[in-house]
Amino acid sequence: MKIKQQEPASLQQQTTPMIDVTFQLLTFFMFTLKIVGPEGDFNINMPPPGAGAAKSEVLPDIKVRLVAAADGGLASLRLGERQLGNGPGAFQTLNNEILKLIGRENSARSKEIEVEIDADYQLHFDFVVKAIGACTGRMSPDGKTIIRYVEKIKFAPPKGNPEA
Amino acid sequence: MKFKSPPMPSAEMDMTPMMDLTFQLISFFMMVTNFDQTQVDERVRLPTDALAKPPEMKVEHELVVNIGYKRAKDGSRLDPLPFVFLPGEELRVPEYKQRLMQEARIYQAKSVKLADVTIVVRADADVPTGQVQEFIKLSQDAKFEKFALRAQQPTD
Repeated sequence: MKIKQQEPASLQQQTTPMIDVTFQLLTFFMFTLKIVGPEGDFNINMPPPGAGAAKSEVLPDIKVRLVAAADGGLASLRLGERQLGNGPGAFQTLNNEILKLIGRENSARSKEIEVEIDADYQLHFDFVVKAIGACTGRMSPDGKTIIRYVEKIKFAPPKGNPEA
Repeated sequence: MKFKSPPMPSAEMDMTPMMDLTFQLISFFMMVTNFDQTQVDERVRLPTDALAKPPEMKVEHELVVNIGYKRAKDGSRLDPLPFVFLPGEELRVPEYKQRLMQEARIYQAKSVKLADVTIVVRADADVPTGQVQEFIKLSQDAKFEKFALRAQQPTD
């Protein structure tokens, strides 16, 4: 009698489940990927009214006033009573003036002095961030570190609320 | 005479190169995926400033709030007033007060001091400053004290 030999079992591994899982992982990562540019923060400390830290009597606040145009653009930028204009150069001038006020970069005074941003209600937030940036300092020439001018920033109550 | 038929060529595809490529793609996506940015809403067009450098140390307790506009494909605003964007819903800024109170209660339940929590405001560049300040006022009412205004570095 002729005995038929059984075919040897396949030694190949079943790769289909692994491929399935791999593709699911790939799909997950592809869908969850968000391409976002580097983001940074400007810290502001605003304790509730009445709970603030003791104010320095020696160094008065630097007041930066931003007046809004009808479309939310910047109509004028003022440092104290001084008009700095409303163009892109205005923020650079503000940056230079703040440096003059604090004396020198990273000084002890820069930790004490406080800037109050007083902006109109309708002003686009973009201009406020530019003003905060101009008061905060500037980038070092190598573009890696921030040379600090002022560390304390606060807001004055907004002016010109259309619903008020 | 008996002819021996030659063995049939295998019909199975060689999957090895495809698997190699797929694993490389997975590795790439795993490297570039930043799970810290899950709270980022792409509808918000952040203001830009050269000083907006990513922080060197991670803040332990932060609450990211996205304030922006619903926009059409051409970038025009669909609604004149901004919204606070939450996963799956949008609220007006004053309506967010209840959520802030809720968040404050959650932090307190976890024994986290509200003074140690930073509220990260991701506000659109075109949002009226008054709306951002209104939001800060609501947060102060909920006893939050620390705020961070988020901006993006210029891409040029």
